[in-house]
Amino acid sequence: MKTKTIVTICVALVVLVLGVAFGSVWVPPGEIINVVRNKIFGYDIAGIVDSSSVAIVWTLRLPRALLAFLVGAALSCSGAVMQSILRNPLASSYTLGVSSGASLGACIVILYNITIPFLSVMTLPIVGFVFGFGTILLSIAFASRIDGQMQNNTIILTGMVFSLFVNAITTLLSAMSREHLQRLLFWQMGSFSARGWAPVYILAPIVVIGTFLVLHYNRELDMMTFGEDQAKTMGVDIKRVKWILLIVGAALTGCAIAFVGVIGFVDLVAPHVVRRLFGSSHKRVIPMSMLFGGAFMVICDLAARTVVSPSELPVGAVTAIIGAPFFAYIYFRKKEVV
Amino acid sequence: MLTLYDVSAGYNGVDVVRHISLCVRNNENLSIIGPNGCGKTTLLKAVASLLPFSGDIEIDGRPVVKMKHKEVSRRIAMLCQMSGVYFSYSVFDTVMMGRYLHIKDKLLGLPSERDKALVMECLEAVDLVAEADRPITTLSGGQMQRVFLARTLAQEPEIILLDEPTNHLDLKYQIELIEYLKAWAVHGERAVIGVLHDINLAMKLSDNIMVMKDGEICVQGKVSDVITGSLLENVYDIDVAQYMRESLHKWDCLKQ
Repeated sequence: MKTKTIVTICVALVVLVLGVAFGSVWVPPGEIINVVRNKIFGYDIAGIVDSSSVAIVWTLRLPRALLAFLVGAALSCSGAVMQSILRNPLASSYTLGVSSGASLGACIVILYNITIPFLSVMTLPIVGFVFGFGTILLSIAFASRIDGQMQNNTIILTGMVFSLFVNAITTLLSAMSREHLQRLLFWQMGSFSARGWAPVYILAPIVVIGTFLVLHYNRELDMMTFGEDQAKTMGVDIKRVKWILLIVGAALTGCAIAFVGVIGFVDLVAPHVVRRLFGSSHKRVIPMSMLFGGAFMVICDLAARTVVSPSELPVGAVTAIIGAPFFAYIYFRKKEVV
Repeated sequence: MLTLYDVSAGYNGVDVVRHISLCVRNNENLSIIGPNGCGKTTLLKAVASLLPFSGDIEIDGRPVVKMKHKEVSRRIAMLCQMSGVYFSYSVFDTVMMGRYLHIKDKLLGLPSERDKALVMECLEAVDLVAEADRPITTLSGGQMQRVFLARTLAQEPEIILLDEPTNHLDLKYQIELIEYLKAWAVHGERAVIGVLHDINLAMKLSDNIMVMKDGEICVQGKVSDVITGSLLENVYDIDVAQYMRESLHKWDCLKQ
C-alpha cells in the first residue's frame, strides 16, 4: 500500500511537470524547476533559462496545469464524497443539479452580456458558482423539507427534478437568443485556456480547506457506505454529517466548474479507480482520488491543447474519450488488492 | 435495564407498532417472534432511536430521548438486517468501525492497542480471525453476517438488538451464535433482544418470549407459560405444532 501511495504521488508530480513541459515549444523539466525556484525563492536564472521560456512556463502553462490539477482534484474529492454518502456509485454533485445551475448562471451572463462592475471578468465564474451552489442547496433543502430523514433516494430524486427543471430554463433562454449559443456551448464543454493565476489563487485554498473537512469525516464516510441505519447505530450523527459533506462536496464542484465550465466524468471515474487500487477506506480514497483526478485532468488538458494544435478540443469531451476506456480497463479487469 | 412504556412507532405518521410495554433486565434475553410485517423490526428501530416514537423508552430509568445520540449508541447496538454492500473494506476494518465511539484519537481516528485487541477478540468470537484481511465483498452471506455481528459486539454495548441475526448462517453457526450471545449477556450483565423467525432458536436464545401480531403484543412471558399450539396457530395462521410434530416424526424415521 505504501509503495502504491508513493508511486501515485510521484506519477502525479511527473504528470504535472510534463503538463507544463509539453506544448508547441518543449520546455525541459530542469528549466521548469529553475523558473519555479526563481519565482518563489528568487534563484538567479540569468543565462540559464531564456525569457521566452520563463514567460511560457510562468504566465501560460504552469497556472494552466495547476488549475487543471486543482479542478481534477476538487471534482474527484467531491465525487468520492457524493458516491459514499448517497450510497450510489453513479452519484455526483452533477446529479444534484450543480452543473445545471452553473450552466443557467453562465447562460444568463452570456446571453444578456451582464458584467457586474466590481467583479468585472470574474462575473461569469462567480455567477456560475452562485447558481450552481444555489441549485444544490435548494435541492437539498427541499429534500430535507419533504423527508425529515433526508433519505438518499429523496435527495437523488429531488436533485434530478431540480436539475431537469433548471436545464429546461437554460434551454428556453438559449433558444430565444441563438447568436450567443456558441459561446455558451463552449463554456459548457469546459476549457482551461487563458485563465491565468487568479483562479489558482482562489481555488487552491478552497480545495485545501475542503479536503481537510472531508478527511476529518473519513470514518463517518466509511460507516455511511453501509447504510444510514447501521452508521447511526454505531454513533454517527447522520443528519449533521450529511449536510456538512453535501455542502462541502457541492462547494468543491461549484468552485471548480465556475472557472472552467462543466467538466464531467473525472468525478465519477477517479474514486472508482482508486477504490480498485487502494481499497475503500476514505482516508486513502480521498487523497488518492485527488491525486489521480488532478493528474488525469492535466493529461486531458494536455491532449486538449496539443492534439489539434493550434486549435483546442473541449476538455470536457477529452475527459470522457481518454477516461472511458481507461476506466473500463481498470474497473473490469481482475481485482488484485483491496 | 431496558423499559418500554406504551411505545408506538411507525413511518410517515402511521404507527406500525402500537402500545408496546416491556422490560428486559440485565442478564436477561428476550426473543421476539411474529409473522412478517407485524412490526418486529420497527420496534427494534424505535428502541435503537432510528425511528421517532411516542411513549417512553428508558435505560436504567433514564429516558433515551434525554440522552445524546452518541450515549444511546454507546449503550444500545443493533445488528440490522443485511443490506447491499457497495464498497469493500477488509474484515478487520469493518469490525473496527464498531469502535467509532471508543477510539480516543478523534483527530486521526487511530485505534489504540486495546481497540485492536478487542476487534480480534470479536473476530475470534465469530470464528473469522483467519479472514481478518479479506475484503468483505468476497465473503459469503453467512460470513458477512458474522462480520456485522462482530462489529456489533465491538461496540461493547449494554444491550444488543438483533434483527434476524441467524439469516444466511448454517446450522452450526446459528447454534453457536445463540450460545455465544447467551453467554455474552450473562457474563457481562448485559441484555440481548433478538427478532427471530425460527421458533426453536427463539426458545434457545431466551426463556422469555414476546409474540407480536398486527403491531401489538399478543403475549409475553416465559416460554413455558405462554407458548401454546393454539396461540401459534392464531398468530401464524397455520398449525405450527402439527408441523413441528411432523418434522420430529421425520427425524424419528431417519436412520441413526
